[in-house]
Amino acid sequence: MDAETQTSPEPTAQAPGGPVPGGKRPVVDISQVDKVYGNETRALDQVDLTVREGDFISLLGPSGCGKSTLLRIVAGLSKATSGEVKWWEQDYGVVGQPGRELCFVFQSPTLMPWARLDKNVRLPLDLKHVKKSESMPKVRDALTMVGLGDFEGAYPRELSGGMQMRASIARALVTEPSLCLMDEPFGALDEMTRNRLNDDILRLWKERGWTVIFVTHSVYEAVYLSNRIAVMAPRPGRIAEELTIEAPYPRGNEFRNSDEYAEYCRRASHALEKVSS
Amino acid sequence: MKAPLVHNERFVQIFAPLMVGVFALVCWQAAVVAWDIKPYVLPSPLAVGVSLIENFGVLMHALYITLTITVIAFLIAVVFGSALALLFVQSKWIEISLFPYAIIMQVTPVVAIAPLIIIWADDTTTALIICAVIIAIFPIISNTTMGLRSVDPNLMNLFRMNRASRWQILTRLRIPSALPYFFGGLRISSGLALIGAVVAEFVAGTGGAKAGLAYMILQSGYTLQIPRMFAALFLITLTGIALFALMVWLSRLALASWHESYLENEQ
Ligand SMILES: Nc1ncnc2c1ncn2[C@@H]1O[C@H](COP(=O)(O)OP(=O)(O)O)[C@@H](O)[C@H]1O
Ligand SMILES: [Mg+2]
Repeated sequence: MDAETQTSPEPTAQAPGGPVPGGKRPVVDISQVDKVYGNETRALDQVDLTVREGDFISLLGPSGCGKSTLLRIVAGLSKATSGEVKWWEQDYGVVGQPGRELCFVFQSPTLMPWARLDKNVRLPLDLKHVKKSESMPKVRDALTMVGLGDFEGAYPRELSGGMQMRASIARALVTEPSLCLMDEPFGALDEMTRNRLNDDILRLWKERGWTVIFVTHSVYEAVYLSNRIAVMAPRPGRIAEELTIEAPYPRGNEFRNSDEYAEYCRRASHALEKVSS
Repeated sequence: MKAPLVHNERFVQIFAPLMVGVFALVCWQAAVVAWDIKPYVLPSPLAVGVSLIENFGVLMHALYITLTITVIAFLIAVVFGSALALLFVQSKWIEISLFPYAIIMQVTPVVAIAPLIIIWADDTTTALIICAVIIAIFPIISNTTMGLRSVDPNLMNLFRMNRASRWQILTRLRIPSALPYFFGGLRISSGLALIGAVVAEFVAGTGGAKAGLAYMILQSGYTLQIPRMFAALFLITLTGIALFALMVWLSRLALASWHESYLENEQ
């Protein structure tokens, strides 16, 4: 096996076939962002981060370090106290325009319990008054894509936690987003389901040409998925360190079992330990 | 496969309370016979049954009057209560300014204000309806308001991110989220509408063509027709149970397919 004879990666080496950070256009540009909540909590302190087209970037950090806060600001759900955020080098107004769609996957599936799966998945299109005849093929595609093709008519309570999570990913797919924000989407799932969904996400990211910002507190998940990891520190929340994962995509079990993976995990753990102490 | 009836949950649910009821009636009948209790003190269940048949016409007319008032008051309470709740969630200011008055209306005993309302209203029926509405409306207002507010915050975020209009948020998110609470309110409110109609009629004490079950009880008391009094009381209770059952049925119809509270029924 190649992976076992491979030497530990050089931080400056450019992996063949991997995305080229630096060369592509910024999708989200965060500069000197502070966030102070009403109760004086300094959730973010001078955060700088540029997310480029095709990046899969993980925000990794202990709970309470402002990961969700940062993601909510990027999603436009919350406003920075000071500093600047740019979307596709423009203001928030650009979000939602064709080719500038953004989607958000929450930690919980966040489905409407009173609606069947097809209606849940169709929601973003329904809200935009897209005709049913136009939206239904997209809904079926999305459900098939996440392996729920046979569950169109099911109510959320009839599905397992992993299936509900996949339904919420299908809902994100129908808008054909180019930027995908995920806040610990698989935190509540078992290891097996989580690994499978990680592979699904990587596949979609490649196929759809997404840019992903992925929040997690799992070192293993972050290393497996990302080409960049921003390690965040708490009190006040800030980006303490950035790691580049040079391993090429597609990644699979081979990568999970490689020394290279283990080495990256060690580095990320070390960075995490430093900020947690 | 044919399981014994005792293992059928529904059967047991009906059978067990029914047995208790039959047992109580038998004891009651036995006690009246054994101690030779006079019918004007405590009539036997059989005497009540006989009276129910003998006075069937009058009693049914009274039931019709009371039921009409109850249903009209209940419908008004549902329409106005939900409308007020919808108004409350549209603006914090409206809720802050109006909610205290809803509470004042709720805590003021309707018996105490019924005479005033009877004086002010054009006719007694209107007055009785108003009294019943006052009692029945509060659970609708408070439950529906709470329901409309109890929206999953992440779902709300999702709607906002998709630039949903106020109207879309109301019809596609707030109202469906409120349904379980709303139906909870209906169950309480339907019973209260009946209580309101009966209590207000006691205060009004109107007889004649528009006499309801409450007046029937009053009049039976004056003339010492105690079995008829019990028969009227029995009809009021029956009406209350029927209304409650109807609400349970409606809420099952609306919620059973998706709400967690109905999950246990499926095995
Ligand atoms: N709405 C809020 N109001 C006040 N403080 C908040 C709010 N949301 C988060 N915080 C605080 O901000 C800090 C960062 O929170 P969060 O972004 O949720 O962290 P993470 O997602 O990394 O766990 C925490 O100390 C949290 O208590
Ligand atoms: Mg969080």
